[in-house]
Amino acid sequence: MLLQLVVSGIANGMLYALIALSMTLVYRATTVLNFGHGDMATAGAYAGFVLVGAGLPFIAAFALALGLLFAAGFLVQRFLLRPIMRAPHFALATMALAVGYALRGAARLRWGSEIVNLPRPYPQGAFMLGPVVVTNDALVITAAVLVLFVLMLLLFRATRLGRIIRAVFQTERGAALVGINVPLFHGLMWGAGGALAAAGGVLLAMIVPLTPDMGEWVLVRGFAAMTLGGFGSLPGAIAGGVLLGVSEEVLGFYVSTVFTDITAYLVTILVLLIRPRGLFGRQALARV
Amino acid sequence: MRWVYAFLFSLVWISAAWAGGNTQGITATTIKIGMLGPYSGVDSTADPLDYGPVAYLRAINAQGGVNGRKFDIILADSACNETQGIAAAKKLIYEDKVFMIMGQPCSGVAMAIKPMLLQTGVPWMGSSANPHIAIPTSPGIFAVDYNGVASGHAMAAFALSKPGLTKIALVMHSNDWARGYCDPAEAYIKSHGGTVVATTILDMDATDATAQVLRIKASGAQAVMGCLYQQALIVFLRGMHEYGMRIPVIGALGADFDQVVHDVGTPGAVRGVYFQPYQFQAPLGQGPLKQFHDIFVKYLTKSELPANGVPTNFYYFGVPVAIVAVEGFRLAGPDPTRESWIAAVESLKHFQTGVLADTVTFSATNHVGTETMPAVGIDADGKETIYKSWGKPLVGE
Amino acid sequence: MSGAARAGRRLFWLVPLALLPVPLALNPYQQFVADLVLMYVPVAIGFNVVIGNLGLFAFSNVAYFGIGAYASGILMAKAGLPWWITVLPAGLAGCGAGVLTAVPALRGVRLFYLAIMTLAFGELMRWSYIRAEALTGGSMGLALPRALLFGWPLDDARKFYVFLALAVILVIATERLLCSRFGRAFMAIRGNEVAAAAMGIPTGRFIVIGFAWSGFVVGVAGAMYAALIGHLSPDSFNLSELVLEFAIIMVGGVGSQLGSVLGAAVLTALPQLFMSWPGSEELAFGLLLILVILFLPRGLASLLARWHPIFRDRYLLEE
Repeated sequence: MLLQLVVSGIANGMLYALIALSMTLVYRATTVLNFGHGDMATAGAYAGFVLVGAGLPFIAAFALALGLLFAAGFLVQRFLLRPIMRAPHFALATMALAVGYALRGAARLRWGSEIVNLPRPYPQGAFMLGPVVVTNDALVITAAVLVLFVLMLLLFRATRLGRIIRAVFQTERGAALVGINVPLFHGLMWGAGGALAAAGGVLLAMIVPLTPDMGEWVLVRGFAAMTLGGFGSLPGAIAGGVLLGVSEEVLGFYVSTVFTDITAYLVTILVLLIRPRGLFGRQALARV
Repeated sequence: MRWVYAFLFSLVWISAAWAGGNTQGITATTIKIGMLGPYSGVDSTADPLDYGPVAYLRAINAQGGVNGRKFDIILADSACNETQGIAAAKKLIYEDKVFMIMGQPCSGVAMAIKPMLLQTGVPWMGSSANPHIAIPTSPGIFAVDYNGVASGHAMAAFALSKPGLTKIALVMHSNDWARGYCDPAEAYIKSHGGTVVATTILDMDATDATAQVLRIKASGAQAVMGCLYQQALIVFLRGMHEYGMRIPVIGALGADFDQVVHDVGTPGAVRGVYFQPYQFQAPLGQGPLKQFHDIFVKYLTKSELPANGVPTNFYYFGVPVAIVAVEGFRLAGPDPTRESWIAAVESLKHFQTGVLADTVTFSATNHVGTETMPAVGIDADGKETIYKSWGKPLVGE
Repeated sequence: MSGAARAGRRLFWLVPLALLPVPLALNPYQQFVADLVLMYVPVAIGFNVVIGNLGLFAFSNVAYFGIGAYASGILMAKAGLPWWITVLPAGLAGCGAGVLTAVPALRGVRLFYLAIMTLAFGELMRWSYIRAEALTGGSMGLALPRALLFGWPLDDARKFYVFLALAVILVIATERLLCSRFGRAFMAIRGNEVAAAAMGIPTGRFIVIGFAWSGFVVGVAGAMYAALIGHLSPDSFNLSELVLEFAIIMVGGVGSQLGSVLGAAVLTALPQLFMSWPGSEELAFGLLLILVILFLPRGLASLLARWHPIFRDRYLLEE
């Protein structure tokens, strides 16, 4: 039983990890926490839905949805965030929130009265791996997220673009001094965040019906995973996501099913109280 | 001398208000109906419950109205939020000055506006899972459709009608809507020889029900009451199937049966497994329901219908509210007042709406219109079947 | 006192005085909306103390609001106390919650960490309202008896005067706080916490005071909610409510008391206009917020301040 819960939890956790990773990327690049991230994921899911409905094959729709949200993320950063970059943090957080809210409102206007579905490109089902049931969904999602992670890892380590990204992460001023176009970089990172959010949204939409409110759920889990793994740490985001997914299932079964709901909140509070830097994060406290 | 005039004027005014019966919202040619519904916010997928009645009223208007008066429909958004709901109700009552309010308020909103409805004497007729809005009986407040109590009983009764079935598990959300179904179901189970072996909570937005399914499996349950909204119900049904649980799952009325069957995807997950209380006399859009399908399609705008143009369960579930209200106006005669309309509605006995499985009966002491309902499920051949009880299809429609 | 200050003070009193005859001209629906505005004023003021004046990212405002509302509601429904007696306990409950949420801030948790943690706290409170059924009515909600003031039932018009009195008292009290050494300490902490500590300001103590006051004010607003809505439900105190409160202080002007009033007025009145176009409310709200942040980042209060120096508020969030 425990093994089953762990396997199931890993599959969920992969999705959380993807969300956490995309939020961490944006945070590392621009120090803004995108409170509208969940709604961007939902927007990506709806984009995929519309594209598939228009007759495009799934892979093409997926790629196009990612592209659309990349553009959206870039535009948001360029036209809505950059002008207020010097404003107090609160304004930036609220702007991100407002963008998300507007996206949600647009989705509600068009699809608010109905629940729609993104059809899977693969057959539904499950198979036995020893004593454990593994669903096709779990397999596909885990595989998809792993592929994305590997791609990102390769990008970071083995390409010139990756070197540029690491340089800017290390020191923005230094990077600017050697000629890297930092403002463009910010926009591109938000674009990447948007695209990854869309990926998460589409994957989620395959296993769960689409509603405009999906975003909130996504956001909370992403936050919890980031907190657990350590804010700003990319491997931490992945570890945090997986750990969160497994904890939800294990606690949900052995203690009470309400834990599948509130584990995320408990984790957030407890980690920040006991060990604020999470598993892999840097120093998080401002000791005064 | 001015004082005398003022005194006489107020006497006339007061006595008119006293004697005339409340006719606010009625003119010689129109009757103002306020449509309170969750057009935005988290419950917005339920607003077809309001569009169904809107379509019917428009159809009646096209035929000339009732006793020479047409219906003036005013929509107001409750956003499924008490503050907004109260504001919307007040606007309808005090600014738009409607004759009555129709619609589906979320449970919290329903309870929040009930004192105001009673105080102002504005009638309300609608659908609400929350039984407390119409029970205890209050003047002017009528629940036409099946509420959570009737549905919960139907769910439990159907499960218990399977021979040898006594152990039942519950899976529900932690909100008042789900409790509105599962609490009566639980009570019915306990009072009819069954036992509740597990109670599990599933989040509305959950993407996975593994922990819940495994708990239910461990409890030895023979059936499950699924007091879940559509999204979670789909996730739950899939989970049950994936872990090899072939016991019946009875859903509540928060999901559209056809959509769930379609969206779950795997026939094995629903055939002989998924059942739901069925509110209607016939499959959607067929038999006596066909004329309503045509009314919805003809009188609703594109944005009021689903994207694919096919009216879903909630449209049919909502329309009886308008049917009964209009019948009340017919019976109340050429000069309806709130009192005469209420009396007309209370006189309805075994009124056939042409939609609901049960007939509608009201009285001065009972303002809950319908009670008994069959169940719908998918038989072994994949055909949608309406069942009187376990294994016994409803013969004839 | 300088002439400008005296004029400012007189102008301040003009507002509540001008509002006194208002209920006579409004129908009950409009009165309800007016009461709602008055209720949101202390909500905004409390939020502003922490975000605007202290400069700390505590998103726990909805938690204080809910705790105050439930405190008032439980005392009314379960202990049978009349509403006016529950107002102070509601404020104290909110105050306690404020002190509790100050703890992570004291330990150095800042910025987005604090934001997420206080968000999680709010959601956890909501969950506990659902679970503590015997006390709170759980997810079925808690129906409250009619609000009474010294035995006198309050309708919407009478509530207006009571709420107006409460709002005025809280505004004045907060102004006193902000003009005192506490307020100056808040400003120092907001400006540069390390420097403030280095100058010898006991930042910890002032942070707790700031949070405690915020919790108190919003807790009292919670009691007003209980009186106005008459029915408590856990879902009323969720993230959407928090977004509304964000918008109120953002549109009004972060850190400014005048901003709290303006923001409360604008953002309570606005949804009412959209009621007849169902479904469009959220989109309009999001767009409005975006526009305000882009073009009026220091809120409506800054507009007024630009128009006439009498409205200048030294706490209006600086660059």
